[in-house]
Amino acid sequence: MTGWLLRRGLQAVATFAAVTILLFVVMRLTPGDPLAELTAEKPVTAAQTAALRQRYGIDQPIGRQLTAFLAGAWRGDLGPSIKYGRPVVHLIAERLPASFLLGGAALLLNFTLGTWLGVVQAVRRGSWIDRTLTVLALAAYAMPSFWLGIMLANQVGIEWRLLPPAAMRDPYLAGAGPLVQALDVLRHLVLPAVTLSVVSIAVTMRYQRTALLEVFRLDYVRTARAKGLSERRVIWRHAWRTAVFPILTLLGLWIPILVTGSVFVEAVFSWPGLGALATEAIGGRDYPLILGTTMLVSALVILGNLAADLGYYLLDPRVRRP
Amino acid sequence: MVRASGMAGWLCVALAGVVGCGDRPAELADATAVVVLGQEPALPIPTVGTGTGNQEVSDLLFLRLADMGPALNPSDTAAFQPRLARTWVRRDSLTLAFVLEPRARWHDGQPVIAQDVVWSMERARDPRIAPILAALLRQVTAVAAEGDTAVAVRFARPYLEQLYDATQHVQVLPGHLLSGIAPESLATAPFASAPIGSGPYRWVQRVSGQYVELAAVPEHFLGSPQVRRLLIRSASDPEARFNLLLGGQADGLDNIVPPLANLDRLGANPALRTILTPSLTVGYVLFNQRSRGDRSRPHPILGDVEVRRALIEALDREAINQAVFGSYSRVPVGPVSQALWIGGVERRAAPVDTAAARRRLAARGWSDRDGDGVLDRAGRSLTLTISIPSTSAARRQIAVIAQEQWRRLGLRVEVSALDFPVFIARRSAGDFDMDISSATQDPSPLGLVQSWSCAGVGGSNVGGYCNPRVDSLIARARFARTDPRPIWDDVVATIEGDAPAAFLYAPAYVTALHRRFEDVELRPNSWWSAIWRWRVVPEVSRTAEAAER
Repeated sequence: MTGWLLRRGLQAVATFAAVTILLFVVMRLTPGDPLAELTAEKPVTAAQTAALRQRYGIDQPIGRQLTAFLAGAWRGDLGPSIKYGRPVVHLIAERLPASFLLGGAALLLNFTLGTWLGVVQAVRRGSWIDRTLTVLALAAYAMPSFWLGIMLANQVGIEWRLLPPAAMRDPYLAGAGPLVQALDVLRHLVLPAVTLSVVSIAVTMRYQRTALLEVFRLDYVRTARAKGLSERRVIWRHAWRTAVFPILTLLGLWIPILVTGSVFVEAVFSWPGLGALATEAIGGRDYPLILGTTMLVSALVILGNLAADLGYYLLDPRVRRP
Repeated sequence: MVRASGMAGWLCVALAGVVGCGDRPAELADATAVVVLGQEPALPIPTVGTGTGNQEVSDLLFLRLADMGPALNPSDTAAFQPRLARTWVRRDSLTLAFVLEPRARWHDGQPVIAQDVVWSMERARDPRIAPILAALLRQVTAVAAEGDTAVAVRFARPYLEQLYDATQHVQVLPGHLLSGIAPESLATAPFASAPIGSGPYRWVQRVSGQYVELAAVPEHFLGSPQVRRLLIRSASDPEARFNLLLGGQADGLDNIVPPLANLDRLGANPALRTILTPSLTVGYVLFNQRSRGDRSRPHPILGDVEVRRALIEALDREAINQAVFGSYSRVPVGPVSQALWIGGVERRAAPVDTAAARRRLAARGWSDRDGDGVLDRAGRSLTLTISIPSTSAARRQIAVIAQEQWRRLGLRVEVSALDFPVFIARRSAGDFDMDISSATQDPSPLGLVQSWSCAGVGGSNVGGYCNPRVDSLIARARFARTDPRPIWDDVVATIEGDAPAAFLYAPAYVTALHRRFEDVELRPNSWWSAIWRWRVVPEVSRTAEAAER
């Protein structure tokens, strides 16, 4: 196991380094002025623009910029954001909790509801419940999340006034007790988490249903039933354990949601996460901030896949065979 | 399925519990104001943070020596209002002397002294630290403390805007806290996380990506603000900003038009009202007078002033304003926003006249020889591209309307919606035919020099417009000893006649605000900076008043 972990770990580090360099180069080849937000709509002279370019080091040749960036990154310093003026590392650290909360809630909803509904469908295959859930899943999958977000914010947040239509907390309650504040965050979380997870729940449901139906046909499930085990035990202790592998792969792919959320969902609900920060960075060509957020996403994709592989390794003995 | 319905039932109960716990105490709401900005004030330290979000917050934390009067006329020295400076006197034509307000204190209790002013001015004049400010302060030659309570500012030449330059560009920072911090380290210093100012509000906290909280300074020498707690939220998405307002999560939002539909949505909420304020924004179709591939040559079509005049003549600018801004905007004459003081004299833009425009083009050899509806000359069709930033719905709408109006003239226009940084990069490189620009002007008309003078070519003057007469007039206006308005009228008329752009819109900003605030003053150069003077009418009083009526 140690050898396997070491090999996969080295692969992950090499991939991350290659992706970082690629990101830097691609970003610098993308057209656009990184000073756009600073100088747009403000009269500036050529000399002032040149001084700003010098300040942010973007007047240097690309090779020198890359070297300086990598040296800084090695020390944990990704430089200051052009737009915000503050260190990129600080900005990312400030936004991470909100992203983890929204992404975690969406993943939790996705995994629990998606898996459970998929199992219900497989168990009740061909019934009206299965057919209804199939139609609902397709509808959810086909529904653009930006449209759903806008509709929910308008209807639930503004027309019915049931839940806040935007933001993460009510600043009026800043001095209130921890329980009131926690409930306040929870109220703000409902609409973006539902919007973000609807599509992924539909996907998970479909994967889970198909995987479980295939497992139901296997001999060991038939044997378990023949031994007189309860249907609940057959499903959850025997069949589902095998049928969960495709969901593990899926989860590995969904993990970047933890930090990026859905860029659009964060914008519509003004959720203060990294997705919104990354969008603003890309929209303003804020090079240091783009690199910081994309490097984090890359790291999570790589780690997510590594975790999925590790899950397979631990749960499936066939993977461990040389 | 019993288990399924049980789980669904628990979910419903949990959701109902979460939904039902959103009440906030009324006494908190009355003394608090929540306003929403489009940009997060992540670093509201003058000379360090940039952008309107930072500026709005820093204007509440850090005072200047004096503020311009409500007319925002930098030449009207009598209208300036004391802030950190209690009085000032002109010693000679090159020197202004300020006496500081003795009651002024930093939020840490230290007195504001002359050395703070000198330190802040010197910092702002350093082009390595603040290149844009340093250029604005280039006429200032020396700043000296005279004891702890007086400061003398010396200028290179006599001119009318000396007081404006000495007071408006620089917000005074606490030198006693910052002088030991290297300029490049200020953004990461503890001061940046909890700034200490001298304004009517002090810093409480910033919750990243969400809001900044400020608290009124009791017994402030300018007066005790009735809005005791100020929460400045940020949301980059315009729809989310408006939802915060309609959802009762905010009290104030500026610039809600366009889109005009927002007014209908707002009308359904009796707690909110609208306030109209002239803005410093002016929008125009900029004509590139230089060739796209070779800046040394004139543009093959737009290099001809008669063609540019014809394009302006064919535009129904009133209709464009009406469609996008309703009655909240007007057609400017020249690059003059509603709040720029030189625009006070009522002038009317030339009316639309497509037939006259066609005649003008025909006189320059443009006619529809092949009958395809597009004018041509010497085998070249009258086709141009207009660039807009894809993020601006208003400019997209304007481009489509203008495209149709120019089609009637015989001009084919392709609309190119570009990512904002690409839009700016192409402008800077001169790689465009026409674009729809929007500028937020300085209160001083001297800002026109950047975009509309020969000196601005290579900087903000991306269209390559150059008329030495305009340069000479601006120089005269800058150093005029008497009222410069006639000179500025001449500048504007000359620019208008040269047709470097079709000046389209000069909007007033529509601000939505909760009715509990009265005596509201909004300032075009810093929207919420006068909030400390607002009056708050508590909910109970308003209900009683309404019942009486």
